[in-house]
Amino acid sequence: MRNMTLYVHPENGSPIHRMDPLTKMLYVFTSVAISYLLPSHLLVSLVLAVSILLLVDGKVFRSILPIIGVSFVLLASILVVQGFFHPDRATVLWEIGPFTLYKEGFSIAFLILLRVLNMVCAFGVLILTTKPDELVETLVQKGLSPRFGYVLLSVLQIIPQMMTLTGKIMDAQRARGLEMEGSLWVRVKSFIPLLGPVVLRSLAETRERSIALEVRGFNSTGKRTRLHELPLYPYGVAAKALLAAILLTVIVWRIWS
Amino acid sequence: MSLLHVEQLKYRYPNRSVLALDEISFTVNKGEFIGIAGRNTAGKTTLCYALCGLVPHFFKGAYGGRILLDGDEILASPLSKITSKVGFVFENPFSQLSGAKFTVADEIAFGLENLGLPREVMHERIQDSLHMLGIEHLRQKNPFDLSGGQMQRLAIASVIAMQPEILVLDEPTSQLDPQGAEEVFTIVEKLTQDGMTIVMAEQKMEKLAAYSDRILLLHEGKLIQDGEPAAVFSREDLMELGVEPPIYTTVAKKHGLRKESTGCFPVTLEELLAFDLDEPLEGLFPVQEKIETSNIQIEELSFSYPDGQKVLDSITLGLSSEPIAIVGQNGAGKTTLVKLMKALLIPSDGRIVIDETDTKATTAAKLAKKVGLIFQNPDDQIFKKSVLDEVMFGPLNMGIDKAEAKSLALQQLEAVGLAEKAEENPYDVSLAERKLIGVASILAMDPDIIIFDEPTMGQDYEGKLRLKGIIADLHSKGKLVICILHDMDFVSEVFGRTIVMGQGKVLFDGSTKDVFSQLDIVQRAKIELPHRYQIARAIQQKREFASPTS
Repeated sequence: MRNMTLYVHPENGSPIHRMDPLTKMLYVFTSVAISYLLPSHLLVSLVLAVSILLLVDGKVFRSILPIIGVSFVLLASILVVQGFFHPDRATVLWEIGPFTLYKEGFSIAFLILLRVLNMVCAFGVLILTTKPDELVETLVQKGLSPRFGYVLLSVLQIIPQMMTLTGKIMDAQRARGLEMEGSLWVRVKSFIPLLGPVVLRSLAETRERSIALEVRGFNSTGKRTRLHELPLYPYGVAAKALLAAILLTVIVWRIWS
Repeated sequence: MSLLHVEQLKYRYPNRSVLALDEISFTVNKGEFIGIAGRNTAGKTTLCYALCGLVPHFFKGAYGGRILLDGDEILASPLSKITSKVGFVFENPFSQLSGAKFTVADEIAFGLENLGLPREVMHERIQDSLHMLGIEHLRQKNPFDLSGGQMQRLAIASVIAMQPEILVLDEPTSQLDPQGAEEVFTIVEKLTQDGMTIVMAEQKMEKLAAYSDRILLLHEGKLIQDGEPAAVFSREDLMELGVEPPIYTTVAKKHGLRKESTGCFPVTLEELLAFDLDEPLEGLFPVQEKIETSNIQIEELSFSYPDGQKVLDSITLGLSSEPIAIVGQNGAGKTTLVKLMKALLIPSDGRIVIDETDTKATTAAKLAKKVGLIFQNPDDQIFKKSVLDEVMFGPLNMGIDKAEAKSLALQQLEAVGLAEKAEENPYDVSLAERKLIGVASILAMDPDIIIFDEPTMGQDYEGKLRLKGIIADLHSKGKLVICILHDMDFVSEVFGRTIVMGQGKVLFDGSTKDVFSQLDIVQRAKIELPHRYQIARAIQQKREFASPTS
């Protein structure tokens, strides 16, 4: 793994790839907000279905599956805690040995599960189909400090490099007879000799990198320009207006109903 | 008027008592190539920092004297203004990447965007610098996916695109393999021909001698001499200043060949060949005495990383009896091979048996008494507060009691010449010395087999001399020494047996002399010929050319 970007670019792109990052960010916000505002399983399922449709349209549905897989532990624990232990438990749904699953808890757990799934998928629409540098550049144009933008982007590239560095340091310590294989205690003990070199090497590299940034005018006070023009998205205004209208409608409906 | 005018420059880093630069004065004219030579800690890097304004604008401390850049005083100019005129490239290619760009072209654009250049100008400059550096084909690649040599060329391209008037390079090839270094030197040569003003600090004196108009010889922060390469390298006290002259000068000195016009020794191969001298090919390579040592048997060894990339392919080798060098370009599988010998990796196929132990049946830590592996970068291991504690860490891990561990550590520190620094913080000594701490910390465990990974990288003349002594001493004590090396001069001076690796296979295994006499192997493995051997061959060819019938 050379960098941590999750961006996937299918051949010829997709309509979702061509959408501007700001519209996609507004979509994430709207989708997540209304999934929490809407009370019924059916409506939240519909919101989720839209996110999944966008993922399919963006040709990135397969790429979301491993991310859902990672969140599976969280989803399963929600189901267990709510299903078995929710305070309003009354109606028995299943009995598994000494454990009883209640309908009320399960219903709430299922709703939370749909909402979390929708959150993962909606963020997937943004992250999987937007180049990180375009996303950050959009934010910088909207007033985010370029320095903070730099930090966001560099983290994506530098963290994997730090992981490689940690591997090297582990090897160097094992070569000096530091046992890292075996019981949990052995592993915990071996952690301390890693910390020093990891921190110091990272600091040294950071210093060198800041020299490189200075040399390349990162701290110059003049107006910056940008190599790539952000592509203009012709339906941006309409899409944003539609999303805002949907959000507003749901809010109004929830207040009045 | 000179482009750069340095006058009585003095500088001391914060919290240090000695001057890093001491009353340095010189000038650089437009289009000149200035080399900076000196041992590690002579002040080369600090001088480079001062020329591009990092001293005193980035590194604070005590500053005296002045530097005029195009008539403007560096102390009074903002750093952004200085860096628009002076480009700076340093050792580590990795940390020169911005880290925030995802393609080579965007990486070059980073500096241009900061300068606020219009888009069309940026595209033009990116194209020009990609072309100049010969990396157009890498345009869309992720910078972190490049090799060291490619990364360093990208670093130069990124700086060149900003169109500085002067390019300062601080040992830009010290972390690269010979091929990567050659790529960088080819570019530097091209820039020189294009009339760029260049200041370069470098340990490879043959290169400095070939390119420089003048050389600044530094020692302990002082400018000892500012003169033509031939004059500087002909100094009698050069070795005492920790600088080894180009090998051509050393050979000329041995034969007493001075140029009549100047009284100086020749500094390049062409200059040397102008003399009639005899340098026999025989006797250039050492023959090491074979003794009883531990034994490594490698049988049908293959290794692939989890992503399926095959690094080693059916290697069979027996290693024992004498110091052995392993050479080959980056990516040939050398480091993977020694990591397998140390049980840091487990073979995908085949096996490695060390004396009686199969590496699959043990761990790296358990093998510590048997096999010591000294890594390239000492900073990967240092974490203790004193040099002595750092060296004692290995013996203590092996269960040796504290008193004995201390005596072993002191003994090894004595051997590497660092006994008087035992109580210092490892980070307060130089990198070359830290490297020797790394060596001592492995030797203190008294392993039977010692493997060095790139011990000469970044070492100056004295560091290399000390390493030669350590290897000879280990051999005389019956230890098996294995060394991964890029420095073919070192290989040809120390090792009787050399293994050449390429693309995961052993291309050649035999006497060092035979390796270098088989040019097809040398070319396939993309290694260089040792300089002395090049000289002897060139002389032989010259003779054959002069008298084709004989």
